[in-house]
Amino acid sequence: MKLDKDVEILDGLPLLYIRSLSAMVCSDLHLGYEGVMANRGVFLPKANLKRIKEIIKKGVGICHPKILIVNGDIKNEFSEVHVEEFNEFREFANFLKADAKIERLILIKGNHDNFIDRLKEPLGFEMHSQEVLMGKYLFFHGEELPRHGDDAFLVMGHVHPSISIYNKTGPKEKLQCFLYGTDRKGRKIIVIPAMNFFADGFSVNTERNIGKLAPIFAKDLDIDGMEAFCIGEGEILDFGDIGSLHNIEV
Amino acid sequence: MITSCKEPFTVKESLDSVNLFIRKWFVNKYKEPTPPQRYSFKLIKEGKNVLITAPTGSGKTFSAFMSILSDLMNMSLSSKLEDKIYCIYVSPLRALNNDIYRNLTVPLDEIYGDITIPIKKISIGIRTGDTPQSERQKQLRKPPNILVTTPESLAILINSPKFMENMKDLKYVIIDELHELANNKRGVHLSLSIERLVNLIGHDFTRIGMGATLYPLDEAARFVAGYDGNEERDCFIVDATWDKKLDFTAISPVKDMVNASDTVVDNAIYKLIDQTIKKNNTTLVFTNTRSGTERVVYNLVKRFKYSDEHIAAHHGSLSREIRLGVEDLLKKGKLKCAVSSTSLELGIDIGSIDNVIQIGSPKSVARAVQRIGRSGHSFRDVARGEVIVTNRDDLVECSVMLDAAKKHHMDSFTTPKNALDVLAQHLVGMSQNKKWTVDEAFYTIRNSYPYHNLERKDLISLLEYLSGMYVGLESRRVYAKIWYEPSDGTFGRRGKLTRLIYYLNIGTIPDEVAIDVMTRENKWIGSIEEEFLSRLKPGDIFALAGKTYRFEYSRVMKCYVSPAPGEVPTIPPWYSEQLPLTYELAINIGKFREQMASAVSHSLPRGKSALLLLGKGSMKPNEQARKILNSMPLNENAKFSIYNYFAEQLLFAGHVPNDKMILVEYTEDKEGERNLIIFHSLFGRRINDALSRLFAIALGEMYPIDVGVNVTDNGFVLVAPLTTKIRKENITELIRNTLGMDMRLTLTHNIRRTEMMKRRFRYCAARSFMILRNYKGKKISVRRQQVNSQLILKAAEEISKDFPIIKETYREIFEDLMDLPRAERILKGMRNGEISYKIISTQVPSPFSHTMITFGEADVIMMKDRRRHIRELHKLVLSKIKKT
Repeated sequence: MKLDKDVEILDGLPLLYIRSLSAMVCSDLHLGYEGVMANRGVFLPKANLKRIKEIIKKGVGICHPKILIVNGDIKNEFSEVHVEEFNEFREFANFLKADAKIERLILIKGNHDNFIDRLKEPLGFEMHSQEVLMGKYLFFHGEELPRHGDDAFLVMGHVHPSISIYNKTGPKEKLQCFLYGTDRKGRKIIVIPAMNFFADGFSVNTERNIGKLAPIFAKDLDIDGMEAFCIGEGEILDFGDIGSLHNIEV
Repeated sequence: MITSCKEPFTVKESLDSVNLFIRKWFVNKYKEPTPPQRYSFKLIKEGKNVLITAPTGSGKTFSAFMSILSDLMNMSLSSKLEDKIYCIYVSPLRALNNDIYRNLTVPLDEIYGDITIPIKKISIGIRTGDTPQSERQKQLRKPPNILVTTPESLAILINSPKFMENMKDLKYVIIDELHELANNKRGVHLSLSIERLVNLIGHDFTRIGMGATLYPLDEAARFVAGYDGNEERDCFIVDATWDKKLDFTAISPVKDMVNASDTVVDNAIYKLIDQTIKKNNTTLVFTNTRSGTERVVYNLVKRFKYSDEHIAAHHGSLSREIRLGVEDLLKKGKLKCAVSSTSLELGIDIGSIDNVIQIGSPKSVARAVQRIGRSGHSFRDVARGEVIVTNRDDLVECSVMLDAAKKHHMDSFTTPKNALDVLAQHLVGMSQNKKWTVDEAFYTIRNSYPYHNLERKDLISLLEYLSGMYVGLESRRVYAKIWYEPSDGTFGRRGKLTRLIYYLNIGTIPDEVAIDVMTRENKWIGSIEEEFLSRLKPGDIFALAGKTYRFEYSRVMKCYVSPAPGEVPTIPPWYSEQLPLTYELAINIGKFREQMASAVSHSLPRGKSALLLLGKGSMKPNEQARKILNSMPLNENAKFSIYNYFAEQLLFAGHVPNDKMILVEYTEDKEGERNLIIFHSLFGRRINDALSRLFAIALGEMYPIDVGVNVTDNGFVLVAPLTTKIRKENITELIRNTLGMDMRLTLTHNIRRTEMMKRRFRYCAARSFMILRNYKGKKISVRRQQVNSQLILKAAEEISKDFPIIKETYREIFEDLMDLPRAERILKGMRNGEISYKIISTQVPSPFSHTMITFGEADVIMMKDRRRHIRELHKLVLSKIKKT
């Protein structure tokens, strides 16, 4: 699904493609998640990295990018680099080079990405703290306000957006989505859903206080005015603006 | 061999079998043994395994303990009584444990009062989750002779090597409230603990099972006694269920139950309850659901100005303090009325109750007998109870139920068989004890009744799971809870943390399902089911603890509300908490339907004038019907209403469905928006749940639509949009297609995506120690536990579709939740013509289908294709937005 001449949401995938940069963008991978969870007593079978590889492979097959931008939270643990995280990170970096033929891996540091600087050399990636401006696009993770790019196209992650639809006859249903709109400064902005297998998302049409989660919503951006592009099976579906979806029941 | 005891021993034989001091005390106090005691004293004295079923107040405690106390007393008199555990008593309730402790210590004190020579006294100790650390230490140093405990605490004790030293000479194990254990995973868990105990101490012991009605008795006896290899252990059955006289009636609150409005029926019900409460000192009211309990208290208080001192609710969602308070008031005789869902039907001492009122069908004969049996002061009194029916199907159901109770026709229980999640827990525990060979473990496990038919490959797959073979070698350090060496078939303990994992996460009751309901000031009000929460929308009103609240928002495992006094609940009570009708009772109702329909048809008015009688409720029962109805325990209103109900169905539809004939009715709903295909298949919800899904799937394959399903005990309704016109030949085709399907295969595929599967999977994952509640000594925050269960399930499937926890989830759904084996038999009956079906078309739904349409549990059988489903959802949302 094309947003404009340069920007496209890949059909049925949590991936954005920017033609002028030859870059595919994803967000919130939380690699090593299962290992970290196992340390806390939830013994999840490993599935995250496997699924992420499949998605990247599909995306690469469609747009053949040179660059992969991970828009924050490539790993999960705040306080350290867990051994499981390191193992998966290394496997992921190798996969990008060998199988996906990605030339550059660019990382925006998210709130979960502490202590990864020292992996830069051995694993071979570029890293930016909080945000980076590339062409007219400002990539920022989202737990802080963007500092630059007053007339840039903003690309954000962090909130794991999804919408919930209440059902008269059953439980509510949750769909992962991109959020697309314009902020009060007139900048275009897109929020990318999480690629993590275990994240079912923050429900933007029923939960309150998204401003606490990402300050841009408290300041420059009205969530109600944003459009939800949900990820269907092999396609992207436009569910209209969040304002009309408050507690929607079908 | 299982032996049913027919002839009791004489009073003399019974009393002669016990120690002199105890006999003197007993005769002094009770004069002579009760009927169950005239079997049990001597049998237990002889070291026989015994199953005793008897109602409350029949001296059950002493039936079991008399000969044990006698044995211990003899040991003490010959100075052979040591500081060792000789008897373990297990009950599912801590409250009951405290009662038992009291009921043993008081008599013992009395007995010792008469003994002048200095002897070592028999000691009793309680061990539950509430037992303080100091007491536990004391028990270790100086173990009690009789240990009173719960299944969970027992499972922990058998993993304590030091404590096990004290159990080497164990002689007796008593399981109380067997009917609350033998039909669920908690009992399965206990059964394994007991076989592990035999393995650990190297010898068997006398097993005594006690409980209320539990049929078939020989299965219950097998549960108690278990197996020794391929041989079933001996057990004697003492059935005193019917020794307490019961007096009960099914009451229709209004003359014409068929046509009365809900409000009229409601008013009449509450008036009846009020009258009974006023007539008696203490009345115990049973409802079938927690929300029902809430509603009854709310209405009685509102309508008749009862105060909190007169009336109280008692159910599992209320806090422990509240429940204990209610029990205490009951014991002191201060409460006029207590309303309960299930929590008061167990053997907790609640003082004397004059009358029991059951509102609506309790869904099983055994439960009806058990609940009514709570009234009456002693064993020799008559227990009085009334079952007030709430609608017309309820009326027929309760009538047949009480008639069956009168004839002592009981329904049967089933034990979950080969539950892999419970076994996983025990394997972790077992590996802590010692190094095992697979052979020895297999033998021990199969001695437990619920696992007697366990397949070796299932045991192996669990060992593989627990030893972390599903993750890479480098992660096994974290994942593995045991080591397992396939080459020589041995396994044992691994990791320092595993012992702690076992201690802190033991048990079978999933605790993470309860969502705390809080006020915005963070005050706890009660809890609701997770599934109920998932249906709540901000602004919805619901009832809890007798008051109404407005749902504001939810955070992880908490649900925030504000008080909404006087507002009408917008969310109906939660039906899944309702118990399903038992199969035997369902078949009995089917037979009654056939009998009654044939009686009514003798004098059914014919012609046009007959139709004018519809909806009037004015037909007087004919002679043939009178004969049947008069033999049943019913009030006059009930007889009249049943007659009219059957007559109206016959006049309207020409057919009354029964256990050998399924009526299939196709019609439209009131609004003319949807097709309804109504299957009158009275087999109980567990079977209809399976049947309805299969038919819905078949319908979904014929038309590209989402099919709604309403499931009840009496049948099920398929709901389809009217865009597709459904005719008789389509129904014939639908049935033909369905009968051609492989039920288990089709449902396995379909259930995969349901909410039920996700929820059940999480329970199983928690029981198998895949998701821990406590780890490294810390309670795991619910937020971390709360990883989306569907995604865990998806991740597990990535490993293998036969992953043991997935396999167990399906087993639990198919066998415990549904009754797939019987559903398959019914389908087979339909194929070979043993069960016939008739297809009729009606303008509006026939009388027998009304409750099926209004009540019932709704679920949507999703279209097979997820892509189409999301698109459909998209379309619905957009059209909804456009409308507003």
